[in-house]
Amino acid sequence: MTARRITVGIVDYGVGNHVSVWRAMHALGFRCRVTHDQEVLEGTDLILLPGVGAFPPAMRAIENRGLAEYLRAKARGGKPFLGICLGMQLLADASSEFGQTAGLGLIPGQVVPLRQAAWHIGWNTFESMGGDLLLRSIDGQSVYFNHSYVFEAPPEYCIGVARLAEPFVVAVRRDNVVGLQFHPEKSQAAGREALQRVIEGLCNA
Amino acid sequence: MLKKRLVGVITVRRGWAVQSFGYRRWLPLGKAEVLAQNLDRWGVDEIFVQAIDRSAAGSGPDLELLARLGRIGLATPLIYGGGIATLADAARVVQGAADRICIDGLLHDNPDEAVRISHHLGAQAVIGALPLASRNGQLLWLDHRSRRESALDPAVMELFRTGVISEAVLVDWQHEGTRGAFDERLLSAFPVREVPLICFGGLSEPAQLRSVLESPRVTAAALGNFLNYAEHAVQRYRQQLPGVSLRPASYRTMGQP
Repeated sequence: MTARRITVGIVDYGVGNHVSVWRAMHALGFRCRVTHDQEVLEGTDLILLPGVGAFPPAMRAIENRGLAEYLRAKARGGKPFLGICLGMQLLADASSEFGQTAGLGLIPGQVVPLRQAAWHIGWNTFESMGGDLLLRSIDGQSVYFNHSYVFEAPPEYCIGVARLAEPFVVAVRRDNVVGLQFHPEKSQAAGREALQRVIEGLCNA
Repeated sequence: MLKKRLVGVITVRRGWAVQSFGYRRWLPLGKAEVLAQNLDRWGVDEIFVQAIDRSAAGSGPDLELLARLGRIGLATPLIYGGGIATLADAARVVQGAADRICIDGLLHDNPDEAVRISHHLGAQAVIGALPLASRNGQLLWLDHRSRRESALDPAVMELFRTGVISEAVLVDWQHEGTRGAFDERLLSAFPVREVPLICFGGLSEPAQLRSVLESPRVTAAALGNFLNYAEHAVQRYRQQLPGVSLRPASYRTMGQP
């Protein structure tokens, strides 16, 4: 019997580079739909929220396309949901980037400036936290980061950290909703491994 | 721990990847996307594609090149520079295939636009390239389009100092393409201490790479021609630089991401 291919719905809200995520999905054998059409997203197995840039315009873009309530409802209803980089930060309650902006509120926490440095740019070691198995296989491997704000989440939602002088949250999970601060699509073999494990893990849970 | 990076540079002129020597002589290498595919497979930390004639020609970013690069499905972060003059250009580049942009001519022409770009894309996505030479104890900044040199503009330095731009590429343009010739005085004389630095131009020898990468101000070394002379050159550099905080050398074969 052939396993059914997973279809990933990449949310296109006009922010960031979907091409790389789409190509990474295809390289891993997933079907992809890049769209902001709720009917198309409805037919997918997992919603992937990418994102590059600042929090307020990204949240505005989601709201302007009428997607905020839809995304909240789908995630709260149990649909597998993955946020990448800024897409992870959008899962939080709010961000203080350029003033206070409400997020999707899917995982408790606040997005605040990184305190230890102005930037976290480049390859850093990922440390898997807690008992979650989704990212265990990339524990200790380097992945690519490019951000200056961090998602401060309560420990029970933290499934991965990276370190500068001190550790900080770079992966979060609340049931069917996962967020990754790093760019798995640009983290070479470790990133592809993470994407595969997370998507298959969420879809087959 | 955050690693230092080895950045692979692909210089594009008239649509073709070239070896570049001192901003004045170029030898053809082939298709940029083929070189990018190689660097991706060989495991560089970032790929920097610079289309050096776009700004002078006023032809905007090379979106066709970006589309071709996008189709490869690179698993390595991509920086693009060349022809970015406006926020709209920058947004198109990021919506194309680039993860970060590099601005050069724009710093001469319209530093205020760099602020707008930074606010929209996030400063972490914005890099500034500064072709420099050290003469008589002074740093001179080249406008590669007019070939004129000037002192560093305080208003532009402020962009780096205040974090509008996240990293500065210090380009030793005179020694670009010459083995082991990077002028480390550029590094010591660069006046802005707050901005992380990427060094480029004439970096080829492990001893000098070590010297540059061990500076706390330097986050990356960029190599152009020297990565194209041998397969897996970047991994050999990693092996030759034990003790430097780089990702370890690893070799992957065709078909693996």
